[in-house]
Amino acid sequence: MPAVHDTTPFDADAAALEELRRRALDDGGFPERAGGRFCAGATAWACLACARTPAGGPLAARAAERLAQAQHADGTVAVADAHPEAAWPTPLALLAWQATGTAPERRGRAERFLLALCGEAEAAADRGIFGHDTSLRGWPWTVGSHSWVEPTALALLALRRAGRADHPRVQEGVRLLLDRQIPGGGWNYGNTTVYGSELAPQVAATGVALAALAGLSPAPPLAKSLAQLAGALSPVRTPLSLAWGLLGLAAWGIRPAGATAWLAQCRALAQRCGGYDTTHLALLTLADDPGGVFAA
Amino acid sequence: VSARAGWTRRELLGAAAGGALLAAAGLGSWRWARRRPAAPVFVGRAAGYGADLAGLILAGLRELGVARAEIAGKRILIKPNLVEPRRGAEHVTTHPAVVLGAAEAFLRLGAGAVVVAEGSGHCRDALLVLEDSDLGAALRGERLPFVDLNADDWEDVPNAGGASGLAAFSLPLTLRRADWVVSVAKLKTHHWAGVTLAMKNLFGVLPGALYGWPKNVLHQAGIHRCVVDLHATVRPHFAVVDGIVGMEGDGPIMGAPKAAGVLVMGRDLPAVDATAARIIGVDPARIGYLRLAPGGAAALAADAIAQRGERIEAVRTPFALVERIAAHRGIRL
Repeated sequence: MPAVHDTTPFDADAAALEELRRRALDDGGFPERAGGRFCAGATAWACLACARTPAGGPLAARAAERLAQAQHADGTVAVADAHPEAAWPTPLALLAWQATGTAPERRGRAERFLLALCGEAEAAADRGIFGHDTSLRGWPWTVGSHSWVEPTALALLALRRAGRADHPRVQEGVRLLLDRQIPGGGWNYGNTTVYGSELAPQVAATGVALAALAGLSPAPPLAKSLAQLAGALSPVRTPLSLAWGLLGLAAWGIRPAGATAWLAQCRALAQRCGGYDTTHLALLTLADDPGGVFAA
Repeated sequence: VSARAGWTRRELLGAAAGGALLAAAGLGSWRWARRRPAAPVFVGRAAGYGADLAGLILAGLRELGVARAEIAGKRILIKPNLVEPRRGAEHVTTHPAVVLGAAEAFLRLGAGAVVVAEGSGHCRDALLVLEDSDLGAALRGERLPFVDLNADDWEDVPNAGGASGLAAFSLPLTLRRADWVVSVAKLKTHHWAGVTLAMKNLFGVLPGALYGWPKNVLHQAGIHRCVVDLHATVRPHFAVVDGIVGMEGDGPIMGAPKAAGVLVMGRDLPAVDATAARIIGVDPARIGYLRLAPGGAAALAADAIAQRGERIEAVRTPFALVERIAAHRGIRL
């Protein structure tokens, strides 16, 4: 990663807000990339980022309304109308509506949908093949597939904020995330060991899992993962991983000394790849909050 | 992730090196195969990633009858295997030198544009995938664009295979707009499929936004059946398998590096995969998706494939298989 020396403090929030304002679609939604079409996930993250400041309030409100328009009758907010099975943006929409205090009826429908949605459990799991308990039910990326770390974590974040921390599905989701913790610490997409080989953790997956478990799990079972993430994060300058890494640590009250500089360096590298996705811009803004937007 | 155009080395490359390239590719032993009309596959030796890989791929293209007239002006999509990069682990993903070599070869044949595109199966952070695989720096250096297929727009295309029961595949628009799709895969064992080569590499074209991380929808529908269906639907035009350093043992992620010192190429992906499997000591007739491929095992018999370049026996490098892995049992050639 090349050195980036210009870490002069500037109003990152204002700059990000202005960039998001430029990307907003006429209908209030956001595309993932400038000039693209409405994307539910990008719109939810942009809504959450905009909702942090009074100046972003109108943008957040319009984004929340656009997400409401995208909700299906059963509560789903899907990747696309033609693919309701790709339901993983639903908890993101719920988080956005919670942050803006809007759409109570729609929030209820999204909650009910999430509480009813299960990843496919596989009975008679052979622990000699998979290290994890395949009978635990969390949340899938798409309806009809297995439970994985990120969609489970996102569902837990949204349901915790909805006051559902004690719901049996939430409790089972917590057990699933703890079970999917890699023995050496951290998470990846959702396999721990396969055929006895321990798989590698990933920063973004570790961050989102730790953020989700704040307030739902005691700290001791997570000590290895917190240490693993703190050690793995310092060379990371890509927005998705850096932001989730910081969000995950912040949820447990940890702010690495270099965090502000890392975020500035990451933003400075945006042009190297032609600019960041809307989700990335929004997550970087959220990760800049030392208080941790997902703290319990 | 980004969309930049341009090619900095294009002007530097001339056509005059063709004869030398053919010699470097070790073509002295290919003529025996010319008698066979079906499914030619080219095997070229490369001692390492510092070799003239563009020249070797260009030699393979020529031996396989891919002429300038067929490529000129075409939009080429190169699809590497970047399933889960690990920094410094060159046996996990397609090496950047092979990706650049393929790009250079097609540009030398007059391609109008080359785009590198992948939807990583295990990692949502495409920018991290590029950095950890070292492909990002390589592409920036050559000003080649990369598209994250996991986040690309898509269109639903009827499943042309019919083996898996999936009605359609959601194919990225970047892929649909390409004139030629080139699977630039890695030579690896695989703990679910036995091997992962040019055909299974196509899993990575499907958007994770619809198929998940991993692309579990395909696992649920049957890996071998989905490989065959995706191949029938995408209809890739060419394949290059990076076997310079492959992976043996518990692939596709946790296995060990194994140098086979070859690139395997061809228009017919089942034939390419069958040849690559034989090189690593695996019987293609015992790989589920190859048995399901058009023509079945008979079409992939050793005498049904016209081997060009190196003979299989000359480059055979048995890869370790793992007895406790069900997909590895009984597949040894």
